[in-house]
Amino acid sequence: MDLLDLIDAVQSLADGVLFGATYALLGIGFTLVFGVMHKINLSYAAASIGAAYASLLLLAVVKAPPALVFLVSAASGGVIGTLVYLIGFRFIPLANPLATLMSTVGLLLLIDEIIVHTTQGVPLNYPALFSDVIFRAGPFNLRGDLMFVFVLGCLCMVLLLALLYRTRLGLATRAVSQQPVAAELCGISITGVNVLTFTITGILGGVAGAMIGAAIGMLSPLLSLPLTVKGLIVTVIGGLGSIPGAIIAGLLVGGLENLLQFFRGVSERDLYIMLLLFAFLVFRPGGLFAPAAGRD
Amino acid sequence: MKRTALVALGALALACSTPASAQERTVKITGFGAKSGVVRIFGVNSEAALKAAAEVINNAGGVTLGDGSKGKFAIEFLDDRCNAEEGISVVRRIASTDAFVAVGPTCSNVAESLFGILQKKAGDASDTGLQFPIIADVAAKGGLAKISEWAFRNVPSEFDMYKSLFAWIKTQHPELKTIYGGVEKDFAHSNATFGVMKEQATANGYQVLGQGEWLLADTTFSTQVREMRRANPDIVAISAHPFTTCGALKEMERQGVKPKLLIGLTSSSSIETLQGCAKQAEGIIIPTSFAPVTPEAKKAAENVAKHGGSADLHSAAAYEIMFILKDVIEQQKIMAKPDTVAADRVKMREGLAALKETMGLLGKVGRAEREAIKPFLYVHAKDGSWVVLHKPSS
Repeated sequence: MDLLDLIDAVQSLADGVLFGATYALLGIGFTLVFGVMHKINLSYAAASIGAAYASLLLLAVVKAPPALVFLVSAASGGVIGTLVYLIGFRFIPLANPLATLMSTVGLLLLIDEIIVHTTQGVPLNYPALFSDVIFRAGPFNLRGDLMFVFVLGCLCMVLLLALLYRTRLGLATRAVSQQPVAAELCGISITGVNVLTFTITGILGGVAGAMIGAAIGMLSPLLSLPLTVKGLIVTVIGGLGSIPGAIIAGLLVGGLENLLQFFRGVSERDLYIMLLLFAFLVFRPGGLFAPAAGRD
Repeated sequence: MKRTALVALGALALACSTPASAQERTVKITGFGAKSGVVRIFGVNSEAALKAAAEVINNAGGVTLGDGSKGKFAIEFLDDRCNAEEGISVVRRIASTDAFVAVGPTCSNVAESLFGILQKKAGDASDTGLQFPIIADVAAKGGLAKISEWAFRNVPSEFDMYKSLFAWIKTQHPELKTIYGGVEKDFAHSNATFGVMKEQATANGYQVLGQGEWLLADTTFSTQVREMRRANPDIVAISAHPFTTCGALKEMERQGVKPKLLIGLTSSSSIETLQGCAKQAEGIIIPTSFAPVTPEAKKAAENVAKHGGSADLHSAAAYEIMFILKDVIEQQKIMAKPDTVAADRVKMREGLAALKETMGLLGKVGRAEREAIKPFLYVHAKDGSWVVLHKPSS
């Protein structure tokens, strides 16, 4: 490996880590729902992309700045998240883990097909902030738009952690997550907490969808399935239910993916990521940051 | 007296109208292709093109059937979701009706499997394969009609297109020496066409410096484009569909990769590329078998748009197919009756196989080994639209 190769490898890693912020946001959504309800919401990535698509409706009406489009995406994500809960969880027997898994698979396909039928599957431009800004540090370049995605992603994670650990709502959410029966006996509405969890993760998903659209510069229904897989990988590697784990795993998967692309090419890249997933499932099923077991 | 006259008039009208309406029959043509999933646009455009052409034919009097009666085309379009198993199932369903031909599919992977279930050699009693003629409008991977004598295509030959394009570039830009490729590895059409591009580039004396590879749903291209930048090629040829073509072009812009010439995949000469990345695609040259440059092509584009589709090289092929079918029905005296289905299918196959030339929207289309030899031209992206750059056939 010569110096140029080394520089390219480091650059690939840096690009991947920055893009990994979007995986981290998706991973947090998956992990939060799992943490609270002990259920996997497989429609989460599709809902996030759906929210980003919904925000484009604003651009169809008025010439809005990208920041406003992102806000609309977050709001749409909240609405879609609530709808996902009402359709895929509220009236489904929660005691049967397969029932909600299947209902969210159905929702994933449904959301995807709604996007396809609305847009005919044609990729659409998505606005970005700082897309023409490049930070140069010696031989390395850092994309301004990806830096923005990374910073916004980190900000969202901090806000979420503050919400969970500094507010009564967060306390209620953690209570339901750890001791649902005791929480209910204390007067906490489990349904209310669940709805709020889905709304909050939906908002986060809306931000993730917008950031993914901004980072790529386009939206396509092609994105839903690969992002669902990435979100799940991040959740498993990070540890089901662990928010810091999802953050670290998101950045790790993003960086590794690019590094493997550089060293092994596209035909082997995903193979190694999947091997990593299996390695975690076999040797460390709790993931990087498995939360401590509750008294139950 | 007045009453008798009215009755007589009524009887006369009835006598005149009944045979006419009995003679004017509906000839159902079933198209199939992707109408869901990420390539839904192919199916939407094909259906619109089939309906638009059927409307033109019907308004001009319809098609003359074997018994001398007139028939009006009615189009039905089924969704195969760009999935080989679905495609086979859809065609088996169509073949179980009184349809004597089907138009489709839109995806090469479907066509490849589907043509495999057809009887390989017509008339071979030992081959129990499906005896049902299919004419493809979109599936573009080279040589697919060879699979069965019941399979036909009206798609352009990408081999001929890129052979011509590279030879033309050589004469127009003799100073260009090197080329770098970009290919969507997991899509049959892109992958096969990239092989053609590379072969033709080498045949014309270009030095192939390398290739960047990605997948259909990939979102980052920084590593591939960085390798491209290091190679510093004169020409970049991208064999990918609009989503990743745009992704790669945007990354090239970010990294300041500015080749002297850009070449794209036939399927990317569509409105999708311009919607996704008109600015970055500026100047990209793509060979295509359709552009609204003749009066017929302009009219076809308008008609397809009226039916909710967009005319491009794929849907234009579907539009032309309706006129081909009309001619074959009339030449082969196809009856289009439930009790003549088997004979009609054989006649349709023989009629399609016997075609030596058809009229396309850009001019005469030759036919050999059940494939079309279509005229084509080169377009390039200019100020957000596709503009004809050169007509090699003229």
